[in-house]
Amino acid sequence: MTEALRTLAESLTPENLAALVSAAATLIVFSYLVKDNPLYRLALQAALGAAVGIGVFIAWRDVLRPKWWQPIQGAFAAGRPPADPFQLLEAVTAGRVACPKWWAAALAAFPESRPWTDALWLLALVPGSLWYFQLSKKWFWLSTLITGLFIGVSAGLAFKSQILLILPQIGASLKPIVPFAGPGGLTWASTLDCLNHLLFLVGMMTTLLYFFFSLRTESRFLRGSMRIGRLMIMATLGAMFASTVMTRMAYLLERLGFLCDKWLAPR
Amino acid sequence: MIRWLARLRDIDRRWLYLATAVALAVPFVARGRIAMPPTEPFMVTRRLFDAIEACPPDKVVLIDSSWNMGSQAENEAQLECVVRHLCRRRVRFVVISVGVTELGPEFARQVIEPIAAEAGRQYGTDWVNLGYVQAGGDIKVLIEALCRDLHAVRPTDVHDTPVAQLPLMRSVRSINDAHLLFSVTYSPTADWISLVKGQFGTPVAFGCMTIMSPYYHTFIESGQLSGMLVGNWGAAEYERLTQARGKGTERIAFATYGNCAILAAILLGNLGLWAARRTRGRTR
Repeated sequence: MTEALRTLAESLTPENLAALVSAAATLIVFSYLVKDNPLYRLALQAALGAAVGIGVFIAWRDVLRPKWWQPIQGAFAAGRPPADPFQLLEAVTAGRVACPKWWAAALAAFPESRPWTDALWLLALVPGSLWYFQLSKKWFWLSTLITGLFIGVSAGLAFKSQILLILPQIGASLKPIVPFAGPGGLTWASTLDCLNHLLFLVGMMTTLLYFFFSLRTESRFLRGSMRIGRLMIMATLGAMFASTVMTRMAYLLERLGFLCDKWLAPR
Repeated sequence: MIRWLARLRDIDRRWLYLATAVALAVPFVARGRIAMPPTEPFMVTRRLFDAIEACPPDKVVLIDSSWNMGSQAENEAQLECVVRHLCRRRVRFVVISVGVTELGPEFARQVIEPIAAEAGRQYGTDWVNLGYVQAGGDIKVLIEALCRDLHAVRPTDVHDTPVAQLPLMRSVRSINDAHLLFSVTYSPTADWISLVKGQFGTPVAFGCMTIMSPYYHTFIESGQLSGMLVGNWGAAEYERLTQARGKGTERIAFATYGNCAILAAILLGNLGLWAARRTRGRTR
């Protein structure tokens, strides 16, 4: 009995224990396929809790600590008297440092002031804490200052990003449909290419037409085109559905592979 | 007979789950005897392969590996096959996880380290893992900052070593030092295309889940994307191109059995529907 317990204890290495917990969690989640049950909900809550916990830890370790806390800490640990801000201003006004990049240049002119200036990161607390005023009905308006700033920046960047994304798409939609107009003249390859482009054009035009709800649809040609557009959309949705099935299958396979290779029969 | 067929429409979904699980269990039993069907790799996969083959020695490949257990099923095989190719071609690469998941660097490390060790590639000189960067309010801000100055965005690597001390990073400062950006995640953001390709002119390639691939095909047509790996199928095709056998080949070969089960279920369901309609027609 003692021997068996000892063997069991020896086999419980951190790797084996992790595989055991993972396998149990996988089987609990799979149990939902039979019926909803408390164990499944427990696993769900545990996963959510762990994800939030890891997220907070990594955000501190990789972002806040190296980029915010450590510079501030360094500034106060340096033990130097803070550089005179008036001295800095004097240097700027005397023209010893050039504008408009005066701030960076001023800092470079006073390297000894660097640790002190790192303490300025404390000021980031002010705009950062404005987000939390969303929790107060009375002071909610304060949070709109920071939200407005973020929306403004995001909108500007989104505009640029969309132009850079969409314009090449419009350009790429203009494809040749005359097979003998190319530099090589009429060939099998150019004919097939043009047929492909024609199919693309029909697909694009009819799909766009399908979404023109303000058009009167008495015309037989228009109705037929819209029907083709609908068929194109259905074919696309079919492809997307097949992609969904493939992805879900991959999920299941990955878990089955884990259960077989790392839990039941570790290699 | 028709009435019996009509009952197929009402099969309990749990039987279907069981059938799928049994179908998928078959290849695990017959492991080693299943081969990848010989097909010509898809154009999008070949383009990524060609882009990496064309990488000059003074440039690096920047990999955004932003996936975790949520998309491990497909992204793992994609990263594995590309890293194996990079190591074989002796192309240096920098890995970073941008904004999606904090666990990205750890999952990337688990895939890359064994392959790099096997190929004799040294950390710091041949490859670097810069770790996770939080996007904050908008990922576009982060991507643009990253393109301009990698060192400013990520002053230390995943082991807290200052990037200036890493030999590889001395020659890599901005996106202009990269030959290609390869983003492997559940659904890579289109901002990589608009900013990295559109603004800075560096080619971009994606590795995405199969479910997301229809969206990105338009960018292949327009030339904005230089290549793409579509799920495990893309990874398997890439492994064929690099003449290696990895997770992609195994998983896609195994998935064929599950797909057959799904096809059979669709056929049976439609047969049941047809039979039910016929039965209803007769009783009227």
